[in-house]
Amino acid sequence: MKSETGFDPALLDRFPTKGPRPDDELARLEEAWRAPKGWGLLTAVNNNYIGTFYVGAAFLFFLLAGVLALVMRVQLALPLQGVLPQETYNQFFTMHGTLMMFLFAVPMMEALGVLLLPQMLAARDLPFPRLSAYAFWAYFVGGTCFFLSLFFGLAPNGGWFMYPPLTGTTYSPGINADFWLLGIGFIEISAIAGAIEILVGVLKTRAPGMTLARMPLFAWAMLVFAGMILIAFPAVILATLLLELERALNWPFFDATRGGDPMLWQHLFWFFGHPEVYIIFLPAAGLTSMMVSALARTPLVGYQLVVLALLATAFISFGVWAHHMFTTGMPTLSIGFFAAASMAVSLPAGVQVFAWIATLAVGKPRCNTPTLFVIGGLVTFVIGGLTGVMVAMVPFDWQVHDTHFIVAHLHYVLIGGAVFPVFAGLYYWTPMMSRRALSERLGKWVFWLMFAGMQVTFLPMHLTGMMGMPRRVYTYLPGMGLEPTNLVSTAGAFMIGAGVALFVFDLARNFRFAVEGTAGNVYGGGTLEWLPTGLYSTRSIPVVRSREPLWDQPDLARDVDEGRYLLPGTATGLRETIITSPIRAEPQYLQIMPGPSAWPLLGALFTAGFFLLLTVQAYTPAVISGVLAVPSIMRWLWDTDRTVAEPEVDVGGGIRLRTYATGSGTHGWWAMVMLLVVAAMVFLMTVFAFLFVRGVHPEYWSDYGGKGWALPVVGLYAGAAGLVWLGRYLLRREGSTHWSPATQVLLAGATIALAWAVDFTGWRGTGFDPELSAQGALVMAFLAQQGLLAAVALLMVLYLAARTSRNLIVRPRSVTLDVVSLFLLYAAAQGAVTALITRLVPGGW
Amino acid sequence: MRAWAIVLGGLAVWAAHFFVLYGIASAMPGRVGARWLVLIVTLAAIAADGLILWRTIGAGRRADALEAWIARLGGLGAALSLVAVVWQAAPAVAM
Repeated sequence: MKSETGFDPALLDRFPTKGPRPDDELARLEEAWRAPKGWGLLTAVNNNYIGTFYVGAAFLFFLLAGVLALVMRVQLALPLQGVLPQETYNQFFTMHGTLMMFLFAVPMMEALGVLLLPQMLAARDLPFPRLSAYAFWAYFVGGTCFFLSLFFGLAPNGGWFMYPPLTGTTYSPGINADFWLLGIGFIEISAIAGAIEILVGVLKTRAPGMTLARMPLFAWAMLVFAGMILIAFPAVILATLLLELERALNWPFFDATRGGDPMLWQHLFWFFGHPEVYIIFLPAAGLTSMMVSALARTPLVGYQLVVLALLATAFISFGVWAHHMFTTGMPTLSIGFFAAASMAVSLPAGVQVFAWIATLAVGKPRCNTPTLFVIGGLVTFVIGGLTGVMVAMVPFDWQVHDTHFIVAHLHYVLIGGAVFPVFAGLYYWTPMMSRRALSERLGKWVFWLMFAGMQVTFLPMHLTGMMGMPRRVYTYLPGMGLEPTNLVSTAGAFMIGAGVALFVFDLARNFRFAVEGTAGNVYGGGTLEWLPTGLYSTRSIPVVRSREPLWDQPDLARDVDEGRYLLPGTATGLRETIITSPIRAEPQYLQIMPGPSAWPLLGALFTAGFFLLLTVQAYTPAVISGVLAVPSIMRWLWDTDRTVAEPEVDVGGGIRLRTYATGSGTHGWWAMVMLLVVAAMVFLMTVFAFLFVRGVHPEYWSDYGGKGWALPVVGLYAGAAGLVWLGRYLLRREGSTHWSPATQVLLAGATIALAWAVDFTGWRGTGFDPELSAQGALVMAFLAQQGLLAAVALLMVLYLAARTSRNLIVRPRSVTLDVVSLFLLYAAAQGAVTALITRLVPGGW
Repeated sequence: MRAWAIVLGGLAVWAAHFFVLYGIASAMPGRVGARWLVLIVTLAAIAADGLILWRTIGAGRRADALEAWIARLGGLGAALSLVAVVWQAAPAVAM
């Protein structure tokens, strides 16, 4: 067998080991992974706790959004109802959509990832547990405050996609829209943090032997999901920032009278918004693939084709954003391309559906609650998929655009493709984290109420839409033939509500959180999450030899629990996990992991405070909160990148692994690369915006001159990059004690800041005004982005200097220096490209 | 990185083809030249997919189990991409 890293795969044949284990081994492991108690739980970072909090919070937002939906359905049950005034109705449907998409669907998938992945991969935890905690608290605090705005009449009211000019200051003068723009922008940052955690976790913390070909499909799905978040979410972050800047500073990005364009918002929003649908669907598909196999008691049919389908869906989903814009007058040829891609995306979805059907057909499925939800989801999703192909046909889309037909379609897709699989998953995996499983008897009632309610609500809604009822209207006139279908839809909505209420009752009655002594593998799954676990995940980390190890290795659970595989205790007395290679999952080194801490919580609170206080225009407290967030985050980071006395330790079977690693294979390096992908996507989207408005409104563009400034700016950035390389080079040399390598990096950070200042000064000298035209506004947006990078670069080099002063930068290579260098190089590159693009794209071609 | 390039190569060709087509359609709306450009880009994408397909079929025969699995996945991706590229270009050719 070949090796990816030089590790001899034959070494893994030593497991399971024989002979007795040391008496205190398990006690030491438990001590290292002990979770805080009482109020201290707020500082917990173990994935069991954070994952459960996360799932609970996402489910809470689902309930709240569901209640809003019920009130809306009451309003629409009969014509001219007076339950909700028009303005409140606007806030309700905006909140319903926003909560479901941003605060339930995506976070629920991330939550399930945080909860399930370490166990499925047999890692001790995800690689950045404090980042998980930060992501959760930021999401929970931000989401709660966002929802509460409803009670003050301040909730956003422009629809979940917030199109300008409706959401500009002319038509939305209050702060309602700002709540959405700042709140959602902030929550998306939390989603990106979670995605980086999941990506690195899946690639680097799999159990030895779990090659790409043996990965659980949920892990594949989460890998694709997280990758899509990194590519898609920057678009909406940029869009929300631009619209907020337009509202706050009068910079006309979307104002057609000053060279901006409202279509720019739609492009940016839907470049995020349509992949978002698949970002929600793919993890649910991963859950379904795993459950179908376990419930049918047979391996999944077409594993490799399903992997291909996940990857293909991700790629194609980025080519369908404009099918939401068929009625906006785009060029005919463009419309043709988007229509073709929109139809093509049904192919990979179809592959998965057929794989599930085939697995159920060849296996021996039992009629239990998860099976019912899986099949119900399948049926519902297929109906939604078919109407999706219908609306991919441009002439048909023109007829039903913005009608209740679309509402029906999207609910079929999202409820069938995500909500039912999540409910199936809640039934299926609850025994993994609860002393008792949920009730099968009640579960079947829950399913039938929800399934029947779903069809009763949304099937007639297709007709309502075909009869011409538009979306987002708070009432309708009698005598238009809309009464019967609307009344039936309302009745169906209450059936769904009854099903969900029954589920909550079941949850209250049976769910009892536990890490040990759980109900266990009730449905007979074959993957690693069903191994016996504690707060440390599995007692020892198994060697994986197939896709369903529990089915193929009958003694695996016993051997793992007796510590007969890798890392049967704690090798250093600290929290640790094995980092493996991304393709073949060969052990590379031992990661020392940080324990509980209040700093991620404080960091999240202050970050949330910054955004929320900004929303209510409390600028001074917002700045204070933002400033406090910085040291909180730095303090949390201070405990990471630590070395221990032993450079190598025995992880079992005589295999010795390093306790510190640097360079391009480390988990920290991977995380920084992914962060830079996000930064690069924000930048690319800004370039798109720049070229888009230049192409649409060239008459508003001027040649400001000042091209000569590009040369010194680019030169300074090149100098900064050179200093970074010099610093890294000097760190590798033993004799560089007098002139610390951190000094070069410090100088590099200062040079980046100087380059930005020169660039900015150059523009100020030309007399351009960002309020006058979209060109000026976009130049300022570029400069603001680069200014942010320069500020972060300065903070990073100061952090590096502080660590150097405490002798925490290790020779010959340091992870902190590696990641700071990477960031500085990127900042320099983006700065140079910014200087060139803003000056060289002609003003009057 | 080589393994990821094999797995994602075909799909990347499809994505590149799509975005170039979108760029052409946006920059040259309504012009006949746009259709010829689309045709040229499509032929290039088909060639790239064909190359990946040919390479992965060859690699699949020689490699160990995991490499063969990766090559097969890459080959399937390239085959899917081939279909998607032709389908994608159809509006420009047919309209």
